[in-house]
Amino acid sequence: MNFFSLEKSFYSRASMYSFIVILFLFITMFFGTNQFKHIDLALSGYMVAAAVCFIGLVYRIVAFAMRPATRRVDGRSRKNLKNKARKRRTWKAITVTLFENIVLQKFIFKRGLYRGIQHLLVAYGCIGSFIITFGLVFGWFHFELVDPNHYAVSVLGLKTFVMDVEGWPAFMIYNGLNWTAAMCLIGLSMMFYRRIKDRDLQVTQRFEFDLVPLFILLAVTLTGLALTMSAVLFHGTLYMTISMIHQLTVITLLIYFPFGKLFHFPLRPLATAVPLNYQVGEDIPMHSCKRCGTSYAAQEQIEDVVSILQDNSFDLQLEDGSYLAEYCWDCRRKLRAMRQMNMLNPRTKDPYAPIDTNTGISMPGFSKKKA
Amino acid sequence: MDRVLYLEFERCIGCRACQAACRECGGHDAKERNYVEYIDFMESRQTFPMMCMHCKDPACARVCPANAIQITKDGVVLSAMEEKCIGCRNCTFGCPFGIPKFDFEKNIMYKCDMCYERTSQDISPMCASVCPSEAIRFIGFEEMMELRRKRAQSNLLQGKKPTEQNKWNFVPETFGVYTE
Repeated sequence: MNFFSLEKSFYSRASMYSFIVILFLFITMFFGTNQFKHIDLALSGYMVAAAVCFIGLVYRIVAFAMRPATRRVDGRSRKNLKNKARKRRTWKAITVTLFENIVLQKFIFKRGLYRGIQHLLVAYGCIGSFIITFGLVFGWFHFELVDPNHYAVSVLGLKTFVMDVEGWPAFMIYNGLNWTAAMCLIGLSMMFYRRIKDRDLQVTQRFEFDLVPLFILLAVTLTGLALTMSAVLFHGTLYMTISMIHQLTVITLLIYFPFGKLFHFPLRPLATAVPLNYQVGEDIPMHSCKRCGTSYAAQEQIEDVVSILQDNSFDLQLEDGSYLAEYCWDCRRKLRAMRQMNMLNPRTKDPYAPIDTNTGISMPGFSKKKA
Repeated sequence: MDRVLYLEFERCIGCRACQAACRECGGHDAKERNYVEYIDFMESRQTFPMMCMHCKDPACARVCPANAIQITKDGVVLSAMEEKCIGCRNCTFGCPFGIPKFDFEKNIMYKCDMCYERTSQDISPMCASVCPSEAIRFIGFEEMMELRRKRAQSNLLQGKKPTEQNKWNFVPETFGVYTE
């Protein structure tokens, strides 16, 4: 299927992908709910909000992919994924990034044990909650009574496993949202404590960006746990009211999700592109600095950076046709300082010629008379 | 904030107090974000301090595939946002001045953010507050413009008149003209 010609029949690329995603949701719902016979109408509010959330996510991701930098990295990754010679590197990159970066979140633990724990708790709390919520809302899975003592878990209309109604797997699954909520609550408390305690953060944090998502998540968590409290401890007092408030907070979260800080969640897999394309190893060509000759980056990355800068109309080309990105950091700093001090060799256009500090324009020294 | 960070390379004495101060700054995790380097060690002992230029249209932000580098409304280009930075190091290669640094441990880029938590409160950044020779100063925009005009005049006095085409070559080399 040629996506380019298909795109023309839509208003925009984002609308095309949104349509595809909604269509996919619709089809999975069709199979999951046994041809729309088992839709849980109590969750219809969540359903609409989730659809809006997915459209927002698609819109943001498409917008990101249209930026020259992201487009270039995306294109490079696609090209390298198809490259048979790099197969081993590709699979290693994907599995290692998936496991260390996304499952274990090692890099956050290196920023601090406290931060690692709080992020891990909230991340898995949220991911778990979203899986359960979306699963129930779109009818991807539901429970069927096979006999008075056994439930069958039906995933997309297919019966998977049967469990005892009173057994511990059933208990764990029924209370799934409670466990994830507890994880979120602990993580969020740690985050709030850090935001209150850390004075550096207080200066740099922005209310609408850093605090609002925490407040929204906290509201969702607390109202969700209040539902359980009401059912278990208070014989269902105010259950309907709390469930309405909970629905409202979740809808707020879902609509906020693509547009705020939480959007880093769909962005994170882009980190795979780094070991996939750019990580320096013996199997890929290296780029050496045009001036001092040190190898400092992968050749492909420098090519990408140069082309991204060109796409953004940056004129960073020197007289000899080389680009500033082709010099190492030290040489770039030196070139700039010498340009500013008027010390680049005026007798030659060669930017990596030996430095000639006696340009005749300025005389070094404090007490010497100026020329 | 209408104050600017004003650097004068020829005033630098190479004491690296700015780097020590930068390491001390909260949130910098004992890693300096500025540079003090020799222009050419074989020729002279002249050093120069180097901070981020805080470009209006920063190349580092443009080459970032995750859009992690943000600019405040004061025009300060911040370090990569921790939740977005994917650690590709494009910014370190894209920056025409070679400013951003990369932390391989934490998988994140960090750069001079002009001590935003200080400068946003009109306190001078760590490097400027410790520089003994005033090579790094945090001064008002008007004051900076005045200094620049004086320096251009001192160039004129030497009989070299800047033209529109090469006026940036006339970044002055006079030491101490403006400390009347």
